[in-house]
Amino acid sequence: MQSIINSIVKNRNLIIYLLLTFISFNYLYNNSSIHYSGVGKIGTFISGSTSNFYSKINSYFNLKEENRKLIEENLELKKIESQFIRISDKSIISESNIDKTLNAKVILNSINKSKNIIVINKGGLNGITNEMGVISSKGVVGIIKNITDNYSSIVSLLNTDLKINAILKNSSTIGSISWNGLDPRIVQLNDIPLSSSIKVGDTIVTGGMSFYFPKGIPIGRIEDYNNTSLEGYYSIDVSIFSDFSSLSNLYILQRTDNDEIKSLLNE
Amino acid sequence: MNRELVKEIILSLVIVLSQLLIFNHINLFGTVDTFIYVSLFILYKTTYDKTYLILFGFLVGLIIDLSLQTYGAHTLASITVCYLKERIEKYSFGVNSTLPLAMIRGTQLTNRVTYFFLIIFLHSLIYFSLIFFKFEFTLTIFLYTLINSIINFIIVWIISKLIFNK
Repeated sequence: MQSIINSIVKNRNLIIYLLLTFISFNYLYNNSSIHYSGVGKIGTFISGSTSNFYSKINSYFNLKEENRKLIEENLELKKIESQFIRISDKSIISESNIDKTLNAKVILNSINKSKNIIVINKGGLNGITNEMGVISSKGVVGIIKNITDNYSSIVSLLNTDLKINAILKNSSTIGSISWNGLDPRIVQLNDIPLSSSIKVGDTIVTGGMSFYFPKGIPIGRIEDYNNTSLEGYYSIDVSIFSDFSSLSNLYILQRTDNDEIKSLLNE
Repeated sequence: MNRELVKEIILSLVIVLSQLLIFNHINLFGTVDTFIYVSLFILYKTTYDKTYLILFGFLVGLIIDLSLQTYGAHTLASITVCYLKERIEKYSFGVNSTLPLAMIRGTQLTNRVTYFFLIIFLHSLIYFSLIFFKFEFTLTIFLYTLINSIINFIIVWIISKLIFNK
């Protein structure tokens, strides 16, 4: 206690000086608008800087929680997006005889073979039948080939066995899409006669002349073409819209009139 | 001793009153304000208590502030000068600063000039910094401080000569 008093007595000049400085500043601050706003600005700067520093530290420790929230938010958005896609897909195919679309998740996928197959988590119990068309939010993916109760396999567009009826969106010239087994981003459009006019960037859509896909579902756009073939057809490379390396949500199209058409053909 | 104190109090009153009644109203070239009251802190004897000097500085500064509506700028400048007076003395006079009658008479002229000018310069610097109180005016603050310090130095020097030549 004695040492504290001694220390106060020893430093009394400094203490008095600081006290009087405080009183003077207070007088200045309360009476002069320039000093009021000036000190206010300094105060804002200091509080802003310290709050910013604290908030940075705080946000670092809250990263886990933030991450969880973002994931939740992302899931919500994905749900909304998938609903929207379903609605927009339906609007594309509303004039076709599509009864309903089923949503499925990819559980197995490959792009590095010549006969690539995709497996999804929906099967016979979910109403999936053979030869249904499968699309992603960006375009054509393939056709259902085998079904079990809970799973189905899809013959991917990246399968050398698959041929899909396609047209040039601008001119409606009919051709067919197949894959040569080389580049998983590029498929080939065949049977387009040299008499048709095409250019790089033209969009290719499904032609609708099959049991699988209605007309107008996007496939890809012309990347390159060669008109030196002696057979009278173009050799066209098409870059596909769907990214097969990152497929996750797929939509399976169920057509109502397939059986009717088939029965006609059988007669 | 008491007589001397009374004399000094009267002298202080005269200086403060002349500041209030005359020098507060003098503004040379639109930039120079004359603050002769700073001479009170300069001439405050080294043998007197420093704490009283700070309180005295506060009182004088406050009176000037109230009369000039400067809201504490003179007070802050005055108490700072009073608080730092001892250090400025040591810096200006070196070992002689501890001698009781060493101030003004019997010291080197350069020491005295340094001492006077440092106190006046510091006072002006704090005063104008508080008056302008913006970084944009840094150059103006230094310019005003320099001009005011020089003019006030001359005035305070003359006053000190008048007092001590009596």
